[in-house]
Amino acid sequence: MSSSIKEFQSKEKPEGYYKKLVNGLSEVNKQLGAFLNINETIKDGFPFSVKDNLCVRDVETKAGSEILSGYIPPFNATCVERLSSSKFSFLGKTSMDEFGFGSFGLNTMCVAKNPFNTAYVAGGSSSGAAVATSILKYHVALAESTGGSISNPAAFCGVVGFTPTYGAISRYGLVDYANSLDKIGIMARSSEDIRTVFDIVKGPDSYDSTCVGIKFTNVNNKKIFLIKQLLDATDEKVRSEFDKLVSKIREMGYSVEEKSLEFIEKAIPAYYIISMAEASTNLAKYNGYKYGFKNENFSEEYNRFFTESRSKFGVEAKRRVVLGTFVRSASVKEKYYRKALKVRSLLIREIGKLLKNGFILTPTMPITTPKIEKAVSLTPVEAYRMDILTIPPSICGFPHVSFPYSYPNGMPLGAQIISDHFNDYALLDFVKSWETSFRYKFKYNIGDIR
Amino acid sequence: MKIGLEVHVALPTDSKLFCSCKAYSEEPNSSICPICMGLPGSKPMLNEKALMLGVSIAKALGCKVPEKISFSRKVYFYPDLPKSYQITQVDAPVGHSGTLEADGVSIGIRRIQLEEDPAKIIREEEYTLLDFNRSGVPLVEIVTEPDIKSEAILRAFLTELKSILYYLGVDINKEFKADLNISVAEQRVEIKNITGTKNIIDAAKYEIERQNKLVSANQKVPSETRSYNEAKMITVPSREKESDEEYGFIYDPDLSEYSTASIKAKKAVFASRIAKEYASKYKANAQTLAELVLFNRDALEMIERWKEKYEMKALIGSIELLEKYGIMDINERAMARLLDMVSKGSYPDKETLMKIYGGEEVEAKQIDIKLIDKEISEYIKRNPRIVEEYRKNPKAINFMVGEITKKYKVHPRIISERLNLIFAGK
Amino acid sequence: MDANEFDRLLKVCRISLNHDEKDRIINDIEEIIKYFNTLNEFETGNTSESYHAIRIPERLRQDKVEAFQNTNGILKNTKTYRFYVVGPKI
Repeated sequence: MSSSIKEFQSKEKPEGYYKKLVNGLSEVNKQLGAFLNINETIKDGFPFSVKDNLCVRDVETKAGSEILSGYIPPFNATCVERLSSSKFSFLGKTSMDEFGFGSFGLNTMCVAKNPFNTAYVAGGSSSGAAVATSILKYHVALAESTGGSISNPAAFCGVVGFTPTYGAISRYGLVDYANSLDKIGIMARSSEDIRTVFDIVKGPDSYDSTCVGIKFTNVNNKKIFLIKQLLDATDEKVRSEFDKLVSKIREMGYSVEEKSLEFIEKAIPAYYIISMAEASTNLAKYNGYKYGFKNENFSEEYNRFFTESRSKFGVEAKRRVVLGTFVRSASVKEKYYRKALKVRSLLIREIGKLLKNGFILTPTMPITTPKIEKAVSLTPVEAYRMDILTIPPSICGFPHVSFPYSYPNGMPLGAQIISDHFNDYALLDFVKSWETSFRYKFKYNIGDIR
Repeated sequence: MKIGLEVHVALPTDSKLFCSCKAYSEEPNSSICPICMGLPGSKPMLNEKALMLGVSIAKALGCKVPEKISFSRKVYFYPDLPKSYQITQVDAPVGHSGTLEADGVSIGIRRIQLEEDPAKIIREEEYTLLDFNRSGVPLVEIVTEPDIKSEAILRAFLTELKSILYYLGVDINKEFKADLNISVAEQRVEIKNITGTKNIIDAAKYEIERQNKLVSANQKVPSETRSYNEAKMITVPSREKESDEEYGFIYDPDLSEYSTASIKAKKAVFASRIAKEYASKYKANAQTLAELVLFNRDALEMIERWKEKYEMKALIGSIELLEKYGIMDINERAMARLLDMVSKGSYPDKETLMKIYGGEEVEAKQIDIKLIDKEISEYIKRNPRIVEEYRKNPKAINFMVGEITKKYKVHPRIISERLNLIFAGK
Repeated sequence: MDANEFDRLLKVCRISLNHDEKDRIINDIEEIIKYFNTLNEFETGNTSESYHAIRIPERLRQDKVEAFQNTNGILKNTKTYRFYVVGPKI
């Protein structure tokens, strides 16, 4: 599949194109809930959407949370700024789980639904970004992942989702979830479009100390590792589809080897401890008097004022703030927070060893797309366990791409290819070669030019 | 009795600790940005100079400076703290395990950390008013061991510390705040957020007395947090602050670790040590010399420049005189003339001094001490009660000293010396 | 985690829960902490802690003043009184 950006730029746009685009999108959005707002003034450029946790100047930015309703950032996120000044135009903010806390896009007021079947989830937390990519013909999405929030919805909605190496894209303007894990990434309908956008938004930024200017490598050893423990965690239906994919990849000239990484599932508790500890500090600032949502009861004593304001957090946010506060308490910090940081070191070392010699391939999610009602009924631990395949690369900051590879029962399935730090372009090349023999399917093509 | 201190001083930088806003401005909320306001999505970027100054202070106080320093988040809730966490240092601060000599006593320095100042908060009846200009101003916190055992040592420690900071370029009049930990008996009482040296000492005095009273009445001193009421000069119980358990420190993942090896630290100047050394080497009064140089780099510079060439006593007298009229750029020849006059006991008035400064020849007359003595004796004869008054209050003679100084253009110290001899009946 | 400890934690992070939320969350938290505890079965020895997944190159900012151009945009998100931001009573 070739670059839709180049195709778009080469095509003559019919009169009223953008108006029609906005109208068509608004209509479909009523059912799918991908966009929280749509920029009706768009009049040129290639449209891009922005996950609601990225600041767009003068546009309400809530990170999917009621506590930020009414907040109007006075500045652009660096990635938004860079795209906006490169012939791309802001189309709207996309829905998400509150602050990124969720795997199914359900922990928010505006739930995005799966474009292939609205009874099913879109995935999370970048739910709206994936749905937007799946329904718009010419569009790219700026999204963000902490523990799999790009791969997961990209797989469920049948689009390509790229999560670069930690630090590759500036986080300036990203409403923080867990700063040592948050990665801004890109969703599109092809690896080519992702590459174009990545080239524009990546690179050092004087406003983000953790954004690095390291040279990228492009190493492909034609070797794929499968991880036994991750395959064991995958349900049978997904497993049989995935096996077919592995055969195809062998045909592409890759040697495939299964490896065992005993402790890889420890990545999940380690990830949740680190992310909740950091999140509980990031969410401490939402106290009702500085960003949008305003508590006007200033005569209340400040502790009561804060507590009252913070009741606007959703249940999952409250749960994570309480747990995060617990795991970093001085008396148990060694046992949880510091322990999790050590586990992260070991994971990076052990997984890194494999990635020196090849890619790791996994299904993106261990289950087929769940129905909304089923996802709602999961307990938190059951839901957290669903992240078993996306968390290992996420906690280690390894770049990964989820790409569609099959459509059993008309619903897309995604696989995830992982590489070593800063070998991001090798992944995009891998997906590009996959795209030469596999055509992605979409139910909508809003904005198509005939 | 044990006293420990946590001293906060603001660093002399142009911009704030983690953003490019002007560090010190007047108009409320005129110097703010997404970073120092803690807006969602903003990230800190460390000020190179603040780091250099932090390391310089640590080195001056004999601290160990870790190879790599890092920052932590200290979470607590108060309206003046924009992010509800303060970026400070816990695991690897700019310095630890140092010492500072004050009046011959060695005071341990536990740690020195760089951190951001919260906003300025004004308490109103029904709300608070916040000025975020101060939010993000670079602070250094200096934590001592509880090695201070008397009010005198506390005073000496503060003077010594301020002198060292002054020579590192810190404006010690800008912000000088401290938390005091005082335990007369077993229990420790913490007095938070006292501004200025005088208040720190007054608060300590009051608190020592308060605890002593409790102890002598066989009452327990409750371990608590108190605050100092400046107007009433007393300490009162205050809001309990969070403990380490609640602060829940974590590494600040928005920042990296920073190496200290290549930092060019500012060289420390220990003015009190220099004063002591020169006083004995060049036979001058140690206290007079210390008072002159502790907080005056121009004076110290002149001493260094001319210490070998001229008599120290005359040098001190001359510099004091120049200080008085704000002259700091006197040339070698004029200085020689001034020193000649002063060493002969003369005390030029402003007019004469300006002539010397301007390069004119001024005749240096040897002061006739007998004349002075006579003048004093006559004054006493006219005002016999002065001797009695002087014994009660040495300041009682100031008027007389002024009169004679004016008449004979002689250094007031000489008159004081003669007076003391005469009063002592010699 | 007993009820007192749970209440203390809620106070520390300034979160209040209504009855339903409390019942739900306290059970969840119990289960999640149990899950977190599985980490302690795993021996990490003297492994160092990774604050980040990659080595972050040190970057410092020169001490230069650069004023933010949109302070009005910041203050619009707050309630102000004579250029001060209004906050709750202390």
